[in-house]
Amino acid sequence: MLAEGVRLGMDRARHRTDDRPALRPVEFHILLTLAAGERHGYGIIQDIEARGETVVPDEGTMYRALARMLEGGLIEAAARRPAPDADDERRHYYRITDAGRRAAKTEVRRLEMLMRAARLGGLLPKHTK
Amino acid sequence: MKVSERWFRLLLRFYPVDFRDEMGDALVEAYRDRAREALSRGGLTRLLNVWLHALFDSLRNGSGERARPAASWRRSGNWGRDAELVTRRLLRARAFAAATLATLTLGLGMFAVVYTAVHKILIAPMPYRESGDLYYVWRDYGPILDLKKGALAGSDIVALQQAGGVIEGAVGLQRFLGGIFSLREDTDPMEIAVTVTSPAFFDLLGVSPALGRGFARNEVGPGHPLVIVLTHELWNRLGADPAIVGRDVRLNGRPYTVLGVMPPGFGFVRNESIGPAQRVDAYVTFEVTLAEANPKAGVCSGLIRARRGTAPEAVAAAVDAVGRAVDARDFGGRGLKLYPVGLKPDLVARVRPALLVLGAAGIVLALMLAVNLASVLVARAAQREHEFAVCRALGANQAAVMRAMLLEGGLLGLLGGALGALAAVWGTRALVAVAPLDLPRREAIAIDWGIAGAVTLLGLLLGLLAASVPARWAARTSLSSLLASSAVRGGGGHGRLRRGMIVTQVALSMVLLSSGGLVVRSFERLVRADPGFKPEGLFTVRVRAPPEFFPEWSDAVAFHERVQGALGALPGVTSAGAATTLPLTSTSSTQMTVTIPGAPGNTGDAERDALLVDVIAARAGYVEVMGMRLLAGRAFEEPRPTGVSEAIIDDNLARRFFPGADPLGARLKMANGKDWLTVVGVVEQARLYDVHQDGRPQLYVRNEDGGARALYYVMRTEREPAALLPEVQAVIRRLEPRVAVGDPRTMDQIVGDTLRQQRTSAALITAFALGALLLAAMGLFGIVSSSVTRRRHELAVRLALGADHPRVLRLVLREGALLVGVGVLIAVPGIYAAGRLIRGVLVGVSPADPLTLLAVTFGLALVTLLTCYVPARRVLRIEPAELLRQE
Repeated sequence: MLAEGVRLGMDRARHRTDDRPALRPVEFHILLTLAAGERHGYGIIQDIEARGETVVPDEGTMYRALARMLEGGLIEAAARRPAPDADDERRHYYRITDAGRRAAKTEVRRLEMLMRAARLGGLLPKHTK
Repeated sequence: MKVSERWFRLLLRFYPVDFRDEMGDALVEAYRDRAREALSRGGLTRLLNVWLHALFDSLRNGSGERARPAASWRRSGNWGRDAELVTRRLLRARAFAAATLATLTLGLGMFAVVYTAVHKILIAPMPYRESGDLYYVWRDYGPILDLKKGALAGSDIVALQQAGGVIEGAVGLQRFLGGIFSLREDTDPMEIAVTVTSPAFFDLLGVSPALGRGFARNEVGPGHPLVIVLTHELWNRLGADPAIVGRDVRLNGRPYTVLGVMPPGFGFVRNESIGPAQRVDAYVTFEVTLAEANPKAGVCSGLIRARRGTAPEAVAAAVDAVGRAVDARDFGGRGLKLYPVGLKPDLVARVRPALLVLGAAGIVLALMLAVNLASVLVARAAQREHEFAVCRALGANQAAVMRAMLLEGGLLGLLGGALGALAAVWGTRALVAVAPLDLPRREAIAIDWGIAGAVTLLGLLLGLLAASVPARWAARTSLSSLLASSAVRGGGGHGRLRRGMIVTQVALSMVLLSSGGLVVRSFERLVRADPGFKPEGLFTVRVRAPPEFFPEWSDAVAFHERVQGALGALPGVTSAGAATTLPLTSTSSTQMTVTIPGAPGNTGDAERDALLVDVIAARAGYVEVMGMRLLAGRAFEEPRPTGVSEAIIDDNLARRFFPGADPLGARLKMANGKDWLTVVGVVEQARLYDVHQDGRPQLYVRNEDGGARALYYVMRTEREPAALLPEVQAVIRRLEPRVAVGDPRTMDQIVGDTLRQQRTSAALITAFALGALLLAAMGLFGIVSSSVTRRRHELAVRLALGADHPRVLRLVLREGALLVGVGVLIAVPGIYAAGRLIRGVLVGVSPADPLTLLAVTFGLALVTLLTCYVPARRVLRIEPAELLRQE
């Protein structure tokens, strides 16, 4: 009964990552950013913008993705601390987990296979510079 | 930035609260960072862009998150998850859930039955076009006669029809004298209830026949072709043949053409000036010209339609104006009045007081259910006190705890309400089966979706209301209050709460019990009342001798003589008699004024000395068969003496005209003033209206001297009375095959039908009261039981210090007795108020009857103290040494 009561606030279910479907683009971008180190929410958006992406996710979209990935175990919350490039207020930071790294690598391999197929099919030039 | 932050926090409301709890702060940080950057780069314009962007983002993603939550633990949203938790918790506590649901189902089911009856009879509109504009019109004879609600004369109807103004239309309705119906000449006849009406009747009500048509304007008056419209029920009884329209059927031997058949829901009953409304099987039109009818004879019920939206006062004024014209023209201005009564109010007037009492009892029962449910939920919450305190300490907010408790109560209440509505489907059928036969709108008493929805909603509201009590208490529970309360003997907040609710339940059940006790006592008075005759072993039927079969009056008299002789000779029948009206069946009675010139009781005032009496025409042997008490002289005998018209008066008439003198041999005259009648006997009144009190004075005349062609035959038998019917039917068929035997009933049935309303009311209120007592007792049981558990240590110490077990037992019982005592005291104003409400339905019992109230209080005290004693007995099993060692 107590366990149920605690569920009023706080539990999570964990999912296996190797039988996940393909990552959504925003999830992949989040993993790409966090692979380089811990970041806070707006920092992730700035990184995606800097990568030259034309479709930058809105905050709402990104935080829903963050919630999904937290539940899925691909990322985890890191210690809250002030961002050096902003004010002194503490922010929520996130970092990639081992499972997240594996998922990102799996996604990269999947995209590489698609690229190869596109080259073979003549959609892309055979050599990339 | 502060303003921006407030704006972003406000936008978080679009997201479900789980998401807000988890990601809200981080989301606001990101918006804030973007806003800061926009302000520094582009000033206010870019900042406003960010605000707008945040608004659309929140709208889109907020609703998206509600529809398809990102995380599975938020899949059903807070309410959905809490509902799942609550359902699982209830399924684990099956006994509790089943007991609570059973209580709610029973209680709300009973409430639903009463609510249905009250709604359908008192509140729902009649199924006619703009039924609020329909009124019955009656005569008030004022100083002329002691008759406040008299039937109208045919000329009154014509006057109303011609009045115009706010009176849009008027019709007359009259009992059809006769009613022997057969499909064809060769089929068996049967008695049906026919109403004579003006041709505009169906148009006035705004109802059209389902088959064929209604009456045309000219299908009325002497010499017109005879036409008839059947009700749906009669048509079904005849085989439901659509080809019946246009065919001829026989009524009293004469051919009537069937014009149409009314639709199935058309349950019109004809209001009478005296007694309950009468069922109708078929309609015919007047064969006389109403304008030429005798203005002194009130024979019709008058029904008018007022112009749409006319205020009742304007209708009353218009009818009053017609009344004054009638008074001036026909009564010499002596003070006759006409007045309208709304169609529905007139119909339900007799049952209204009883229904209102039942409705109030239902409301009290619903309140009891709420308090009981709250008490039960508080007890359950008290068991989880630790869990709530820990939850709060771990961060669950107040709202979350309250939400879970409200959901539990609301779910139980909703299910209880739905099940109660379902149970009420059978409940209403049972009610209709036992309800009085003349209960107005009986056929309409059935649960519909609207009422089922209302009862389910009530269950939900009761559940939420009941759960709000433990919810508020549980939400305030904290570890500190928990530690504090465990040191308090009374069990702290929830103990006081529970005791308060028990006291309330005791008070409410006391109110219901006292009302129930009074109603039962009143009913008992009715049952034991002496109606003035002996109903056991009597069988009655109605036999008509219509002029179509017996053109001369002497033929009809001879026929009745043969019938009485044949019925008296049936095996097992000790005696037979006949009269125009049976006791307790006032609808077939006749009223006339009677004068007794020279009687010592005369005042000298001609109007006061003309007394309105019930006139009953009887054949010889009637007084003896009925077992009426002969107080002086003799009853009618055979052979009938020639040259004398005999009369028997009742004791009321004798006291009025002959106080302390002998009435035998006195001569009296009736209003139609042909012959003098001679008083040959005085009988104790055989009550016509109510079982428990005398009605109008009665006068018996001999039917042969000009009574009625339809007589009620009474046979006294040692056999089972109802078993006589086939033989009676065979006798009548043998004597005259065209005549049908009507309305077969035993006298016991007639008496029972008269008491049915009171019996049903008494049974229902008693059921409510006993249910309430059971709920209060269960509550008391629980509280005493938990008190013993809680105080085990203290009681063990007392026992160890030298107190004996009975003394400690008394200590525990005192707690329960105190609660009962306070509850009874609080109930006093409620009992007073309830007494005033039920005064109208009590017969021969005062609402403050001390005997009943004392008995009820004693009964309640006994039951509740016994209920306390059972759990308190555990005290006797406490071994102080062992208990203190354990602790």
